Amino acid sequence: MSFALPARQVTFGRPSAYQQQQQHGLGGNPYQPQNGLALPGPHPHPPPAAPNAVAGPSTPPAAAAVPSTPVPLTLEQQHITAVEGIVPTLQNIVATVNLDCRLDLKTIALHARNAEYNPKRFAAVIMRIRDPKTTALIFASGKMVVTGAKSEDDSRLASRKYARIVQKLGFDAKFSEFKIQNIVGSCDVKFPIRLEGLAYSHGQFSSYEPELFPGLIYRMIKPKVVLLIFVSGKIVLTGAKVREEIYTAFNTIYTVLCEFRKP
Amino acid sequence: MASTYYEIYRGSTLGLALMDTIDELVRLQVLTGPQGMLVVEKFDRAVANALATQVKAKTSVKAHLRTYNDCEEVWTFHLRDATFKMDDSTVVTTPRIKVVACKDTSAAGPAQTQTSPKKSKR
Repeated sequence: MSFALPARQVTFGRPSAYQQQQQHGLGGNPYQPQNGLALPGPHPHPPPAAPNAVAGPSTPPAAAAVPSTPVPLTLEQQHITAVEGIVPTLQNIVATVNLDCRLDLKTIALHARNAEYNPKRFAAVIMRIRDPKTTALIFASGKMVVTGAKSEDDSRLASRKYARIVQKLGFDAKFSEFKIQNIVGSCDVKFPIRLEGLAYSHGQFSSYEPELFPGLIYRMIKPKVVLLIFVSGKIVLTGAKVREEIYTAFNTIYTVLCEFRKP
Repeated sequence: MASTYYEIYRGSTLGLALMDTIDELVRLQVLTGPQGMLVVEKFDRAVANALATQVKAKTSVKAHLRTYNDCEEVWTFHLRDATFKMDDSTVVTTPRIKVVACKDTSAAGPAQTQTSPKKSKR
C-alpha cells in the first residue's frame, strides 16, 4: 500500500469565506509570513477599488487594476485551516543564535542574574528570563540555544534579550544566525483513537509499542513532522521548522484519525 | 588542608570580631601574620565542624525567589518577603534576604548544603 498521504484539503464543505475567517482567528498571533507559504494575515484582501464617484474620470489606471474580488487562496494557504475548529497550539520553540564572540562563562555566571554554571556537569551557562519565559544555554563559543518560547516572535525577542544581557556584561556579542530549529505544537481532536488500527494500516510511518510508550509515534514524511498520537485523542506535533508545517501535518493526520475513531 | 573549608563564615558577626582582634594583635606584634592566618584557618574548620555536628536547629523558609545564581556549586538566592519558621515555632520575617549555599565538603555526610544567611537590611 502506498501512503503518500496526499495533502488533501480538508474543508468539510465550508465556504471559503468562512475558512478565511477561521484563518484570521488563528490565535491572533502577530506572525509574519516568511517564505510565501503563509497565513493570509496581513494582505488577504486587496483594498476595494476606489469608488468612481469620488475619483471621477481622472482615476489613475493603477486603481482600476486592483481586483475587487478577494485573491483566491493558494493551495498551501488553504491547508492552514482549522479542521473542525481545532488549531494546534504552539507549546515550545527552540532557536539558535550565534553571538559571534568568545565568552568567558564564569564571568557571565558570576554577574548575570538567574544564571547557573556548573562546568563539571554541563559546559554552558543556563540562564532564564521571566518575559518571555524562556531558558537559554550559552556556550563559550558564543553559540546560544533559546528554548521555551511559545511563538516565533517571543523566541526572537527572548534571544535578543539574552544577547543584550551578554553585551551588558562587556562582551562584543552580536545577534547573528538566528534560526528556529524546532517547533512543538499540541492539540486535542476530542475523540478516542484506535491506535492499533492506525499502526497496522500506516505501518510505514507508525511505531506503536504500548509497553514502551503509550502513544503512537507517527513519522510523517511531508511535511517532515513527528506526531505523538494518544488514545485519548491528544496529539503532540514536533520537528517542524515553521508553524505551517505543524498546521499542515495536523490537517493531514486529522482525516486519517477520523478513520480510526473509536466507536 | 585549609582550602577544604569555606571562608564564608569569616563574614559572620563572630568571624568579623575574630578578624578584628587578630588584625589588632598582628598590628601590636603579639602575633605574626602567618600565626594570624593559622588562627583564621582554624576558625574556618571549627565553624564548619560545629555547624555540621553540633547544631541541630532547623528552620524552614518560605519566600518569593527574586533571582538565583549558581556558579560552580555556590548558590545564591535573593529572597523577598521571607518567613523563617524556627524549631521552637518562632517566626521571623524579613522583606529581603540573601542566602548563600555551598556544597558540604565534610567527609561525614553526602552532598548537603550549608547555608549562611546574610540579612541585607537595605
